[in-house]
Amino acid sequence: MGLPIALDAMGGDFAPGEIVAGARRAVDELGLEVILVGVPDLMGDPQGLEVVGCTEIIAMDDDPASSVRKKKDSSLVRAAELVRDGRACAMVSAGNTGATMASALLRMGRLPGVVRPCIATPIPNPGTTPTLLVDAGANSECSAEMLVQFAQMGATFVRSYYGVDDPKVGLLSIGEEPTKGTPLVKETHHLLAELDGLNFAGNVEGRDLVPSPVDVVVTDGFTGNVALKTLEGCLRFVFGTVLSAIATNDDTRAAGRVLLEYLAPVVHDLTPENQGGALLLGLDGICVISHGSSNATAIMNALRVADEMDRAGVVEKLRKTIRPD
Amino acid sequence: MSADVAQPSSLDKAKISSLVREQLAEILEKSPGEIAEDVPFTDLGADSLALIELVEALEESLSTYSAGFHIDDEDLESLTSVREAVDYVAAKLKVA
Repeated sequence: MGLPIALDAMGGDFAPGEIVAGARRAVDELGLEVILVGVPDLMGDPQGLEVVGCTEIIAMDDDPASSVRKKKDSSLVRAAELVRDGRACAMVSAGNTGATMASALLRMGRLPGVVRPCIATPIPNPGTTPTLLVDAGANSECSAEMLVQFAQMGATFVRSYYGVDDPKVGLLSIGEEPTKGTPLVKETHHLLAELDGLNFAGNVEGRDLVPSPVDVVVTDGFTGNVALKTLEGCLRFVFGTVLSAIATNDDTRAAGRVLLEYLAPVVHDLTPENQGGALLLGLDGICVISHGSSNATAIMNALRVADEMDRAGVVEKLRKTIRPD
Repeated sequence: MSADVAQPSSLDKAKISSLVREQLAEILEKSPGEIAEDVPFTDLGADSLALIELVEALEESLSTYSAGFHIDDEDLESLTSVREAVDYVAAKLKVA
């Protein structure tokens, strides 16, 4: 039997109740092994799950880097240490994203050769495998070397996790031509085009996120986060508008019942709680970041993704991608 | 003192500088030769997280010279270059 997954029971808007409930569902419905990491007196009923106790909690508004240093006995830091020490195969948290990254980075370490880890967010691509957006918010300022590494890690992840043979990689820009974009984008375009072993499809634009002609979209963390939040806002608006229209009168409600049956698979794919969260790529360990407002379903799916990453051997494959020798 | 603990007297500022530059080079994936002593950390490409990495790596390395060596959190802001970090460590370890 493999190692359990360490779950930060204190992170997230609905912690610990929804977090523990999500863990219980992951155990009961998916057969996963989960260790809860949290403050015993605040956690409530652990529902029969193993608990690794701690005494501190990193709050959502704590400074990421300094909080890891100041709160060494926090649930986030302890969860990362369980992975580092070989007692857990992965960590999952719905808490402070920056502190989750900092904890994972400072305790698990970077894979040799990785300049900076990145956040990879799968964007649903209805009818096919998701498109991976890298970097979705870890590094606001990037060098071309970092973007090239994000592209390489993103492609390796898509290959090993989604089973796509030769993932297409696109570079996010303001036009398809190689001459378009900032100096950083143009330099990165040149490097990606020259890189062996990467199926670089050239520049893509914002409208190419959903649906997408590529499997990986590469950008800096600032742009990626703006793109992601824009997409989320638009989808929420469109769904809300459609549902509101359906609720107008008896005729629209009857039409809605027919329509929703066909829309259900698309809605399922586009519902964040079914996605499993974002992944940190480039660490010497697995870390899945679940949305701060995660409910039990979202936590269960984040744990599922962590388990699948472990089974797919993603970290070892990333290690060989960055340092093939 | 344990035989495994190196003596602070075997350290000097040059060795401390070398250690700081090597650690930072590893974190930033650069060569030590690219880490200049007087260039601000931010200009070398080190963000706040990289600096925490550096501090924790230095604490671990320097604990072999002085058990429990610790860089105080309130002093972190004042360490903005390799030279300032070296001077700080040297003062703490009472190294010339």
